[in-house]
Amino acid sequence: MSYYDIDSILTDAEKVPCKFELDLPDLGYLDNNPSHALKAGTQLALPLWLAEMLALANTGTSEDSRAPVTLNLPEALSERVIGALKADPRSVPLRDRSAHFYGLGTHMLDLFEERELSAILRRTFVTRAADIALHARKAGDDGVGGSSEDFLRGLDEWERSLFRKAHEGTKSTKEWMDKVKKR
Amino acid sequence: MYGDLGNKLVQHAKRTQNLAHLPPYQAEIVRAVTREVRDLDKDVTELLEPFQGSFDPSADQATACTLLVNHLSMRRNKRCLLAYHRTRTDKLEEMVWNGVDVLDLCGQQVRAGDSGGGASHAGTRMSSVDGATSSLSPQEDEYVRQYGDLLAAYKGQWTDIDLTGSLEPPRDLFIDVRVLKDAGEIQTEYGAITLTKNSQFYVRQGDVERLIAQGYLQKLG
Repeated sequence: MSYYDIDSILTDAEKVPCKFELDLPDLGYLDNNPSHALKAGTQLALPLWLAEMLALANTGTSEDSRAPVTLNLPEALSERVIGALKADPRSVPLRDRSAHFYGLGTHMLDLFEERELSAILRRTFVTRAADIALHARKAGDDGVGGSSEDFLRGLDEWERSLFRKAHEGTKSTKEWMDKVKKR
Repeated sequence: MYGDLGNKLVQHAKRTQNLAHLPPYQAEIVRAVTREVRDLDKDVTELLEPFQGSFDPSADQATACTLLVNHLSMRRNKRCLLAYHRTRTDKLEEMVWNGVDVLDLCGQQVRAGDSGGGASHAGTRMSSVDGATSSLSPQEDEYVRQYGDLLAAYKGQWTDIDLTGSLEPPRDLFIDVRVLKDAGEIQTEYGAITLTKNSQFYVRQGDVERLIAQGYLQKLG
């Protein structure tokens, strides 16, 4: 996750639901309403790069001072999705939830204390990775064509890169074996 | 919202990663993002003006929060800009290492794109560089030139190893080549050859490897 990593930047652009705890006169534009103040208690979906720092910022020093926003878990990690993942990780098209599902998940786990969620995500990845490896080995030479296209559609970015790597590995091994046999 | 344009830029970069060629430089968006940063900076200065340098965040939380949002937006834009340019320079460096004539290639791509061909054909086309259609920004142009010089200087330290040479061991010492575009006269161990378009030669592979990589010659058989 380097500073220049494109996928990590795109993960930071995922929206998370937030609730504002303060009246903010100059930030109405965040709610598409520049001429009015942003009232305390407004619910908004903010990109992660903004929401994370706002939730962690605590400017006051007194006891009752709070961060300007409180975070909630995004839709992609809602009870419904987690329930489905618990039932069968393979049947959930993660990409429909979020193109950077795992990136979002790990980011949220940094901010929330959710032991169960962490366990479920881990199990999801392990189960799906086995499936990905299988598909990558069977896929045609063109990489994404044929039956695997439907399968690929449900994968998030990280899983896709895993698929690509596994596929290239299989292909290179085959090429190498052919070369050895020729000699 | 602030940061949306930066996001667009990063999506361009994402697409660039999976392409064989370099798409045109998004001068328009880059300019818009930098303008956004300048506007944000102006806002911050205006917000801080009445405090005369003695701003206490805990006393005025709403202003502190606004400042934070502005600052974060600027930081985000900076990251997007840097990542976009880095993706492109990485690609350019790779091209320089592969011996692709980057400056020559840009003119061709535009035409290859027009006629529906991919970048893979670009190397086999005749070209004349017209600067107006280049997909590089002037700065990138300069970057490529200087990086090329740097690489040449680095390679110059080892005269008996060609660092950018092919890793495939040659099957034959001599190969047949066809000339795809005029390359002028070259010196070989067996005297000078004048490479004129559409002629065919039987030459030592080591002598012409660079010209093949640059798309002047085509290897036959």
